[in-house]
Formats: sequence, structure tokens, C-alpha cells
Amino acid sequence: MTDRKDIKRMVETYLGSLGTPASDRVDEKVLPAALTAMHKSKPHVAPASHSIWRTIMTSRAGKLTAAAVVAGVVLFAVFDSFTQPVWAIEQAIEAVKEYRAMHIAGTIPGRTFESWMRANKSLTQSQDVVARDSNGGIAWVKNGSTYLYDPGPNTVFFENAITQGFSQWLGPGFLETFAKAQGAQVLQGKDPATGRDRVTLLCSLVDVDGPQSWTVVFDVASKLPVSFTCWHNLDRSGEPLCNITQITYYKDVPDSLFDVHIPGDPAYVEKPLAIAQENIDLLSSPDDGLSTTGQTPQEAAEKIVRATYQAVIDGDLATLRRLSPLCKNWDDEMLRSIILRTGKSDRIAQIVQIGPAGKTGESPLGALIVMPAVLRRADNTKIEEKMIVQFRMIEDKSSCVVYGPYGISRVIE
Amino acid sequence: MIEDRFLVWRFNRGDSAALCRIYEKYRDGLLKAAAALLNDRAGVEDVLHDVFVEFATSVGRFELRGSLKGYLAICVANRARDLNRMKRRRNAVDLDGIPPQPAGDAAPEQAAMSRELVARLDAAMAELPDEQREIIVLHVQGKLPFREIARLREISINTAMSRYRYGLDKLRSILNGELGS
Repeated sequence: MTDRKDIKRMVETYLGSLGTPASDRVDEKVLPAALTAMHKSKPHVAPASHSIWRTIMTSRAGKLTAAAVVAGVVLFAVFDSFTQPVWAIEQAIEAVKEYRAMHIAGTIPGRTFESWMRANKSLTQSQDVVARDSNGGIAWVKNGSTYLYDPGPNTVFFENAITQGFSQWLGPGFLETFAKAQGAQVLQGKDPATGRDRVTLLCSLVDVDGPQSWTVVFDVASKLPVSFTCWHNLDRSGEPLCNITQITYYKDVPDSLFDVHIPGDPAYVEKPLAIAQENIDLLSSPDDGLSTTGQTPQEAAEKIVRATYQAVIDGDLATLRRLSPLCKNWDDEMLRSIILRTGKSDRIAQIVQIGPAGKTGESPLGALIVMPAVLRRADNTKIEEKMIVQFRMIEDKSSCVVYGPYGISRVIE
Repeated sequence: MIEDRFLVWRFNRGDSAALCRIYEKYRDGLLKAAAALLNDRAGVEDVLHDVFVEFATSVGRFELRGSLKGYLAICVANRARDLNRMKRRRNAVDLDGIPPQPAGDAAPEQAAMSRELVARLDAAMAELPDEQREIIVLHVQGKLPFREIARLREISINTAMSRYRYGLDKLRSILNGELGS
């Protein structure tokens, strides 16, 4: 053997042939130690492990937050089909302005639940929420964070945002969204039990929580919604995500209704950032988004969020759709009404600050980053919104798109 | 590379999932490198353990210069070198002559080489100076370019390439000598 190439080939084969310990065994030894070392080095980081995250993602109680509360329509919802404005809805908008709190009861898969909800003073957001299911799960909102107690692992999972089903108050804004939509069905009928006239609205949409379809029943006399059903698909097929059979309205309710006492000493674990799997395809076009080449994640996320809000301020719908692809299925009128808020005092007028980046996560497309934005509205109020930015590598090019809001906006001044 | 930048960025922000992803992404390659660099392969898991625990403690202040893969591979090489030295000191006292430990799971490629030849290569690799052995492993097994190795080792690229050539030549002479004897 005299040739250096021969010896290199032999070494390659030798190195390739070297056995290593079973990965499970190595994982058990290395990963917990590394995670522990990481958390000790940065004490404020929430404890985490694969098994804990798996528990979260498969938690039965997790469905409670997803289903418990009415208001699933969020900023960048995408409507599939909707209704022409009908008098019942417009009058309902006025009717619900009279009430700031409600109690709802119904069923979610495998159990019953009931929930108390109270809006903020402007009736745009759910400020206080507590929902309890028949299996011991409790979901609640407090000081802008969402909590979910799962009695199985005796753990409270939390997010520092008002997320999932707690997005918007079943109030004027929510119903206004319905009223502006097009193409859904409205049915008029009578409740045989009470003899009262009813209007039923059928609609479907895709929002940041994935596809949903709804039936909302209004009492014609009081104009108020009295029941609704929601499915996690667009055609109202299969078992509903939730079926609310009772809604009671209140001018206000005592604070004590929102007190939550968790038995024992549960662990608190921050919920991982994730997006609806059903929306992945909508985020996968190479024509959308902005290139991230040569930028840090922070810089790229800041740039695209800034550009998105600038498009909102400028009324540039084409750019908005390109940067935030979930908006593509909205027609111009819907975007102007719901996102741009054209002519409204609560429209966004100025970008005050973008960043710094917050929570991070991962989807099948790549990294996710939550980017906060401080914005000034036309009425001079200052709000904070958080946008999820999706990074992706498509056709060997790195880019990012805005997925949608993380939780609901918060008035800060 | 882009993904690694994201992962490091997330890791520095305390994202546990990012650390898990880095570990899962590079575990197998680093295990192979450790197995190739250690005289006693029973320590392969210890090398990976020590490298990742050390890496994890840098959360919030880790600065990525060059490739993450290269950085971790150099950490493995450093730790393996430490363990080899400790082992040599111990062997000098009372354990001299114990042959290298076989790995836990032999890969299918091993069938392509006779056990005898693998044993000779084990012994020959163990005879190489650390700096030559590391460069052979990092370049051949780790697929790290000489430029990256030179930067990480703070040597010139010519020195890195020379060590690689000297290492291969020494292996050749060791194996030729053994085969001829």
C-alpha cells in the first residue's frame, strides 16, 4: 500500500464503520443533563423537556382552551364563505353592547363545560375568562396571560398572551366581522320549545387556529346570540369542537367569579409556540414573504413585521397579502374593514416600535418567532400587538412570512 | 448554516427546543468523531455528555463564529484529547497494554473491512499524534474543510493540510510495516 489516496479511502471506510452507542442510551444520558445545565445557567427560562412538550401537545385539557370560548375570529382570519349583512346581525351588534359579561355552558368532545367571561371596557376583548370542564380541566385568563390546568399531570400550562379561543369578545367587533362578510347563509325559523323566532347564521372561516365552521343562533326578539356550534373544519362535519347550548348575558359580574384555586401544588410550564398545521400550505409559496439572506433572525423578523404594518397603514393590500399569505383569501372589502379599519378611529396610524423578538418555536417549515409591535392608532391610543413570523427555506432560498397574530392586542396607553 | 444561526439565536434566548434540535442534528456525527478520536471507546458517551453540558452552560452568551458543526466537532476533539491523556497516564501506571474497547453497535460498513484490519487501524490511529489524528477525523469523517479546521485550531491552512498529509503518511507506514511483518 503506497498510495495516499488508498490510505484515505481505507480511513474513510474505517471511520464510517465505527460503531457508536445506541442513540436512546446516549439521549438519556446527555439530553437531560444538558437541559438541566442550560436552565441552571439561565434560571428564568421555563423548565422544559421533550416529554413535557409532548404532554402539552397531547393534553386532553388542551382542547378546553381551544374550544371553551366563543370568539375564535382573530385579526387575520380568512373567510371562506359568509353572509350578506342582515338586519338581525346589525341589530345584534347594538344589542350585545348592553352587556359586558356572560355565562356560557355546553359540551366539548367527551365532556361538558361552563365558562364565565367578561369583556374589557371597550367590549373588544375578553379581559377575564374562566372555564371549567367535567374532567377537572380549568382554563383561565388573567393579567393578559392564558392558563390551562390539566389535572392528569397536575400541571398548569401557560402562555404570556391571550390566545386560542379567548381571542375576541363575542361583542360588537365580532359581530361586525360577521356583518361585513359575504356569501354565508342565514336561515329564519322558530324555536319549537319556546315558540320564539330565531335567525341562524351559517359560516366558515380559516384563521390562525386553522379551519372552522360555525352556526350562530340569534333570538329575533332580543337580537342576542343564544347558542352556537363550532367545528374544526369548513363544512360542519363530524363531532363539533364545541356546542354552546346556553348563553346568559350580564351587565357585569363580581370579580370573585374569576378567582381560580388549583388544588395541590401543580407545576407551571410555558406552552410552546406553534401554528395550525392546516395553514402550512398557505405559507409555502416562494413568491411570498421577504428574503432573510444576510440578516439575523431579529433583523429579518423586524423588517417583515414593519413592512406588514406599513402596508396596513398605506392601504397596500397587494403587499399585505404577499407578506402575510393568510390574508390572500380575504376580499378587498374584508381586508379594509377588518384589518385596515379604513375610516375608523381605531385604525393603525403609526408604527412606534417593532421588537425585540420574544417567544420562539418551530413548525414543519422552520423557526417561528413572536415579534411584538407597539403601534399608535388614529385615536391616539397606543397598543401592543404580537405577530408570529415564520422562517422557511424554499427552493434553497431562506425567507420569512408573517403568519398572524399571537394572542390579541393590548392597549398600553 | 441558516438553520444553525436560527438555532443558536433561539438557544441563546433560552429555547430548550433549540438545544434539543442542535443535539439531535449533530449527535450521530459527533459520536462517530468521538469514537474515532478516543483510544477507549467506552468514553464516547462521556465526551458527548461533557461537550453538550458545557455548550448548554453558554446559553445567552454563545457566539457562533463559523459553523456550529465545526465548533462542536472541535469541542469533541478537545475533550477526547483530554480523556486520551488521562487514560495514557492511568495506563502508564497499571493498565498498560489493554486494547481499545470495541464499540457497542457495529455499523454495516464494518462488514466491508476485516476485523483484523479494523483492529490494526484502531491501533494505528492511536499511534498518531493527537493533532494529526484530529485533522484526519475532522476532515474525513466530519467533512470539515481545512480552512474551517485551521480557523478553529488557530493554525494556518498550510499547517492543517501538512498535519493531514503527515498523518496519512504515518498511517500508511504503520500499516505497511504491520502488513509486511
